[in-house]
Amino acid sequence: MLRFIVRRLLLLVPILVGLSILVFFWVRALPGSPADSILGERATPELVKEYNERFGLDDPVYVQYWKYVKTTATFDFGVSSATHRYVTDEIKERFPATVELAIGAMIFAVSFGIPLGFFAAKRYGSAFDHASLFLSLIGVSIPVFFLAILLKYVFAVRLGWLPSVGRVSVELEAEHPTNFYILDSILTRDWALFKDAVEHLILPAIALGSIPLAIISRITRASVLDVQNEDYVRTARAKGLPPRTVDRRHVLRNAMLPISTIIGLQTGLLLSGAILTETVFAWPGMGSWLRDAIFNRDYAVLQGGILFLALVFVLVNLIVDISYAFINPKIRYS
Amino acid sequence: MSVAEIEATEIQLEAPSGLWRDAWHRLIRNPGAILGFIFVGTFVFAAVFAPLLAPYDPKEQHLELIANGCCPGPSSEHWFGVDLLGRDVFSRILYGARYSLVIAVVSVSIGFSIGLLLGAAAGYVGGVVDSAIMRVMDVMLAIPGLLLAIAIVAALGPGLKQIMIAVGVANIPIFARLVRGSILSQRESDYVLAARAVGVRRPSILFAHVLPNAISPVIVTATLAMATAIIDVAGLGFLGLGFPDPETPEWGSMLTEVNEYLQTAPFLAIIPGLAIVVAVLGFNLIGDGLREALDPKLRGR
Repeated sequence: MLRFIVRRLLLLVPILVGLSILVFFWVRALPGSPADSILGERATPELVKEYNERFGLDDPVYVQYWKYVKTTATFDFGVSSATHRYVTDEIKERFPATVELAIGAMIFAVSFGIPLGFFAAKRYGSAFDHASLFLSLIGVSIPVFFLAILLKYVFAVRLGWLPSVGRVSVELEAEHPTNFYILDSILTRDWALFKDAVEHLILPAIALGSIPLAIISRITRASVLDVQNEDYVRTARAKGLPPRTVDRRHVLRNAMLPISTIIGLQTGLLLSGAILTETVFAWPGMGSWLRDAIFNRDYAVLQGGILFLALVFVLVNLIVDISYAFINPKIRYS
Repeated sequence: MSVAEIEATEIQLEAPSGLWRDAWHRLIRNPGAILGFIFVGTFVFAAVFAPLLAPYDPKEQHLELIANGCCPGPSSEHWFGVDLLGRDVFSRILYGARYSLVIAVVSVSIGFSIGLLLGAAAGYVGGVVDSAIMRVMDVMLAIPGLLLAIAIVAALGPGLKQIMIAVGVANIPIFARLVRGSILSQRESDYVLAARAVGVRRPSILFAHVLPNAISPVIVTATLAMATAIIDVAGLGFLGLGFPDPETPEWGSMLTEVNEYLQTAPFLAIIPGLAIVVAVLGFNLIGDGLREALDPKLRGR
């Protein structure tokens, strides 16, 4: 097991090197130049030259790359040209927002997706089964931003039940020790903030959770169908265990293997793929931050943000891989 | 006629020749796939005949139509109503189908052909070539699809060609990986050994024997990739990264400005959204049908 983990970690090295090269050249391929974006209208040839010299932008490419690797390795991504704050500090605010959204979406997807897939498999071939298949097909076919706009229209504009902008109402100013607002409200025992933050989370979480919901229900259905006909399930039934116990202890537990892998992989995607949902709901997370950075030509934010998200994605997938080896006794990686 | 002879003719009648005809027969008996064909057929029809079908110019503004507030809904002159600038939404939807279809076809073709070549080379040649190609693919896969497409458009700038390249490149590693895996499992099979034993040269083994057998999962994925491509293009358009000309009737960008008008004119969001869903659902239904048709073991899963 240890050898497997070490090997998977070593495999990360070429990916990280490749990523850093890719992002480095990508930022240099962006139209415009850092000096122009920082100096704006004040840019004169002299100022641009001074700026380029100060930040070593006239150095040979490999010198610049090495410098970039050295600073990035210490999580120093530079300063945003839009806000003049450290990119790392902004990530500390933005990333918890995205994590909170992704967790909310995943709770929604799991708590509806698993029962939906499970009962569809139990009533294989029934109208409910067909409905669940069609629903999951709709789930993967509807663009996230369209679903988000629909939810906003129905529940915020028409019914007025839920807020649809931001993480928390503006009039509620509170301490944010961790920047996970829901966690913050529990830590500070601020229940008004708790209710408000949860209400703000509901619509974006449903929108973002729709695709994982569809995928999880499909995988659950297929996986339960597979497991249901295994010998050990038949044995359990034959020895007279109540059907519920068989379902819980034998069917669902074994069916959870592929399901948990999918949950892990989808979480990785949610963390990095919330740009559209965040845009619709003005959710101040990583996605809307990067979108603004593209329009502002904020090079430091783009370089740091994309690299950070890719890193998170790779790490989450690694954790999924390793935990899969832990959960599944059949697979002992050599 | 003896019993054996009758059985032989029956078997002949039952078994259409070859995997593809067999799959086709299963596909057209699948109600989901038929619905998919209807949706995709409508989508392609709208895209091809947009200039003939559209009652108005999709870019023509009629500000007088919105003089009494935004925006008049569906009417007999304007089936889907008019938008913020008094443009006919029905015509814009029809022309929008062209952009979605062309971009999806071209970008999936880019991803498919380059991915196929890379995956085939990696899987069939193996060794250093395999490692080199697959490590690059791993790096590309480390950035989730839409984010990669956004990054590429940000570097290349907005525009038709740029979107095609962005969505296409994001598709390359998916196809490369799939083809490689599929080929690896075919490479060791007996018919390849047989072909090699009689002296067939390597490239022709690859193209004449291995690829045709490895291709069926790739075709399923290509169909589903069309669906994803349409969604991604709409997503780029929605984010404002689609076309430099804001007049362009692209479905995703039609949804960008509707946020403030949800109260008064929700149809401005619902109509383009439904257009995207119909096109995407069509490809997903066909893709699922194909998967079942090509692999009967999966039926109903």
